[in-house]
Amino acid sequence: MKNIFGIALGILAAIGGFVDIGDIVFNVEAGATFGYQLLWAVVIGVGGIITYAEMCGRVAAVSERAVFDAVRERLGFGVGFVALVSGQLVNLLTIAAEIGGIAIVLQLLSGLPYRALLVLAVIGLAIVLWLLPFGWIERLFGYGGLALLVFAVAAVKLNPDWGEVAHGFVPSTGSGSLAVYGYFVVGLIGAATIPYEVYFYSSGAVEERWRPKDLGMNKANAIIGYCLGGFLSFALMISAGALLLPHGISAEFLGTVALVAQAPLGEIGLLLALIGILFAVSGAAIDSGFSGAYNVAQFFGWEWGKYRKHAGAPQFTIAWFVMLVLGFLIVVTGVDPVLVTEVSVIFSVVALPLTYIPIFLVANDRAYMGRYRNGRLANAFGGFYLVVIAIIAVAAIPLMILSNMGQG
Amino acid sequence: MSDTTPIDLGLGILDHQLIDSEGRRCGKVDDLELEGGADSEPRVAAILTGPGAWRGRGRIGALLARLARGRTVRVPWSEVEGVEAGVRLRKPAAELRLGRGDRRAEAWIEKLPGASLE
Repeated sequence: MKNIFGIALGILAAIGGFVDIGDIVFNVEAGATFGYQLLWAVVIGVGGIITYAEMCGRVAAVSERAVFDAVRERLGFGVGFVALVSGQLVNLLTIAAEIGGIAIVLQLLSGLPYRALLVLAVIGLAIVLWLLPFGWIERLFGYGGLALLVFAVAAVKLNPDWGEVAHGFVPSTGSGSLAVYGYFVVGLIGAATIPYEVYFYSSGAVEERWRPKDLGMNKANAIIGYCLGGFLSFALMISAGALLLPHGISAEFLGTVALVAQAPLGEIGLLLALIGILFAVSGAAIDSGFSGAYNVAQFFGWEWGKYRKHAGAPQFTIAWFVMLVLGFLIVVTGVDPVLVTEVSVIFSVVALPLTYIPIFLVANDRAYMGRYRNGRLANAFGGFYLVVIAIIAVAAIPLMILSNMGQG
Repeated sequence: MSDTTPIDLGLGILDHQLIDSEGRRCGKVDDLELEGGADSEPRVAAILTGPGAWRGRGRIGALLARLARGRTVRVPWSEVEGVEAGVRLRKPAAELRLGRGDRRAEAWIEKLPGASLE
């Protein structure tokens, strides 16, 4: 039974953590702009998150350390603090974007004013976090997010040219503006590897007291969970490519995403799409808020954990509440959540090396990991992705400027 | 603790988690106090923790120490039970004057309804 629950944790990480507003925005915009040409970038991104989630899950199981324990031990106080600040800024932008996404979906469902729904969203999240035990939150948002599978049905119904789809899995330089294409490559890889996923995954593993005997489950979680997330990303990009590109519709509004399911499947498609987005984005808001609390608690050595009572890890409890409030304050200014999403993903790419390098170092450390340290396969993938991350970290901001955030 | 396993102080103790005798996390090893010196083997006299101890941790540490204006808590090495995933201490945090932030915050959070929920 424990294994089944373990896999469920992977599904939550996949839907709530993997498919979040960043993936939705970048996959649908990429599909609307370049059709299926960028599917390969999703594959690269999914490979990256599988590699590093497996690594940090293993580090958690063997050495009982979460990511920011490792960051501080390996990078020291000063550089570690820079990693903390950059990680927290990205977490904050992410939670702001997710809260904005919740309000947009609620607005499409109810027609009520956006700002009132932002208040409702943040209060709703706080109540869920305060009242529900972690297992329930996992299941609620994990299973709710599965409604996103409607996009897989939509993709098939839209009858795409499957030959062209297959072609999209082969890396190419694409047609059209190279800067815009490059911007989407960075965005798609960044959305897939956004660092709060590994913060959350590794902290969850420490909370659940994984041990070396759980390493098989860790591997299954990382591979099955994130592949499912990747599958949903393909579905989003393929359906957007089949519907939006031929009609010349751009996807700068979240509502356009739901239309992608409505066009082939009618009202029920629209409803399932909105419900799926609502649960996925809410789950991601919770994950990114918790990640912020995990990071600061691990850096300063406070007691932490959702499995403790609220009063048992009080500064941690205050930290996630503060994350929610700050995220709310960012979006309540009226800034476009889709814009916040793109900025959060691009900035996360810049901050990514400070998260992944310490994980890689610790996973290779004999003193911490003994015989469970990285093998050849993990090091081949891990090394490859460090190079990929270094390249996209350097390219991210210039491409954002050159491509006018993908607008060309 | 046993003297047989060598520990790299920079990588093996500095910045590690402090865990009290009740299994609660109660700070990090922010700095170390060494004794001895030129003519004798240096040895660790105490663990230093808390914002005051960040002063010795580079420019960023010094800046944050000044901003936080917190104190330094000194934990004599004799209070260390063992060094594993974290540094395990022999006494509860309160007795060693550790984990004060969490205790203060607990007094507030405890008053809220549902504070004992998970």
